[in-house]
Amino acid sequence: MTGRRGGRPLVPAYLSTGGVARPSRAHLERLSVLTGSGEPAPADLPAAQTALLEELEHGSLTVVEAAALLRLPVSAVLVLAAGLLDRDLVLARAPIPPARRFDPDLLKRVADGLRDLKHR
Amino acid sequence: MTVCTVLRVARLSASDPALPDSLPGIDSMIEVPDLAVGALALGTLSAFALGGGLLRSRRHLAAQRAKSAALRAQLDGTTRAFTSEVEHLAARRVPAAARQAAHPHVTVPGPLSPQLAGSPLGSALEQVLQGLHAELAAQRTRIDAAAQAGMRGATREIQAALYRLQDALRGLQQRYDDPELTQTLFELDHENEQSLRRAQIAAVVCGAWVGLAREESHLVDAVTGGQARLAGYRRVRVGNHLAPGTGLVSHAVEPVAIIVAELLDNALRHSAPDTDVVVHLEAVHHGVCVTVDDAGLGMTQDERARAQRMVAGSDPILLTELGDPPRMGLAAIGQLTRQFDLNVDLSSPSPYGGVRAVLRIDSHLLTRIDPEAVPPAAGAPRSTRREAAPVTGSGPGTSHGPGPTTSPGPQPGPPAPLPAASDDHGYGAEQAPGHDAPASGHHGPRDGGGLPQRRRRGRTTAAAGPAAAPAPARRARRPEESAAALGALQSGTAAARTDARSNAGADPAVPEGAPAATSAGTAAENTDSNDHEGGTAR
Repeated sequence: MTGRRGGRPLVPAYLSTGGVARPSRAHLERLSVLTGSGEPAPADLPAAQTALLEELEHGSLTVVEAAALLRLPVSAVLVLAAGLLDRDLVLARAPIPPARRFDPDLLKRVADGLRDLKHR
Repeated sequence: MTVCTVLRVARLSASDPALPDSLPGIDSMIEVPDLAVGALALGTLSAFALGGGLLRSRRHLAAQRAKSAALRAQLDGTTRAFTSEVEHLAARRVPAAARQAAHPHVTVPGPLSPQLAGSPLGSALEQVLQGLHAELAAQRTRIDAAAQAGMRGATREIQAALYRLQDALRGLQQRYDDPELTQTLFELDHENEQSLRRAQIAAVVCGAWVGLAREESHLVDAVTGGQARLAGYRRVRVGNHLAPGTGLVSHAVEPVAIIVAELLDNALRHSAPDTDVVVHLEAVHHGVCVTVDDAGLGMTQDERARAQRMVAGSDPILLTELGDPPRMGLAAIGQLTRQFDLNVDLSSPSPYGGVRAVLRIDSHLLTRIDPEAVPPAAGAPRSTRREAAPVTGSGPGTSHGPGPTTSPGPQPGPPAPLPAASDDHGYGAEQAPGHDAPASGHHGPRDGGGLPQRRRRGRTTAAAGPAAAPAPARRARRPEESAAALGALQSGTAAARTDARSNAGADPAVPEGAPAATSAGTAAENTDSNDHEGGTAR
């Protein structure tokens, strides 16, 4: 799906959300994982939300991935996902926090301390 | 002279004494008076004759003089008439003829004297007017062409600048996802689209190219793209009844988007702000039709005829005829229909009471795009055709008759009070009448806040009831769903047990059922929504 045609998109992003840019839920992030809840899409679902739901049929996606697939900015997908969350059509999981690197200085001091204990 | 000669002869004969014969003397005595009388008579006669001639010539002269006086009077009259006719021509007829070149309803007054109409003078004056008319028309065309060229150049520059601005705005949209910034960017993008549309329309009216080469695209993208260029785009409902993958050849994409935008703009402008404008995309024998219906005031017969003439694009466009401020929409449509072999019809009133505009795109401008490889834009309404077979099998909702007649239902339905409801782009609009009530129930509890889980559970289950019907048709159940259903059964049983103890006991029952599911989150949410299955088991 990537490497698609370039050119200027005909349909601007604001149309997909109806001009709304503030998601109804604030906790979604770029790396939040979205999963379809498996409920059937109601008939009155806006087109863009339906499109997002269809992408999630194939499995969970992060917000960024969904944005890439839908060719929408992340901000628009956040709005769409929040709308789907409100209707229980999608489940969201917070991103896994990145593992923090240990402070090498601290490690060095601990090693030194251990070495001291050993030599004592 | 003759008389003198005669007298002299007589004297000679009388004075001659040597004449032997007396008789000749007597004879000569008699002859002299005769001669005198004759001479006298002759003189008198000639005098009479001369006098008569004199008299006659005098009378003739008088007659001539009278005649010439009459002629002079007549000439004076004619000159006066001619002068006043020319003055009338200069003062009244020429200005009127000049005005008529710009305003065809102005009538040019006729000559002062009606009998001039057929005369050479009359036709000469007519020729003056005709020459003036022809020259004025040529001049007008020349001036208009110059104005159009100037405007073309200016709008081309503006259009290019606005495209650059659009690129910048979209780049920013991609880069930042702060909601406040995004809101501003969306608004700017929308403003930019509207300015772009105006510049583009002006350029097209002035005979320029549409200004943007596009690749072949889905027709629904072009229609939705046109919709996005308008201030009131939220009022537009698009119903896509085309087979998925119906696309436009590259050179027809932008013209179709422009035409749809202009038709929609007219519809939005001439209908009340609380009414919807309904667009339907339907396949017809020779191609595809885009039908735009509004529920506005409609047009009178004259207006409709004029609009039809303009969109046909057969008459050359003059900027000066577009009014002030110039109404360029229909003129631009006319230009594009002529250049790109499209067909716009405004001749029939809409069943909604307003205007029905039908854009017909013939088959040679259509192509097929694989919707899997190149899907339509996310914001574009999905085709109702794809799910047509299962949905029509399971429910009476979707019918593919002439679209507008089936969808008056949603018209009064969504007055767009909720932001979430207003961004409905008409997908599955036909089903809305049946699903209106559950949908609003859907929105209600979400806005409530407070204890959303419990309240929503009750409502969503009620709402999910009718919507659940097409589910099996969509795809097979996934393992998570099966697990969730089992979990729901379990939690339902638990809920029934705890229900006996207290009313509040129902809430803890849900987490109790959760461990049965594979994923905690899925289970928790699904038990919520599938709770009714447990409920029926109770």
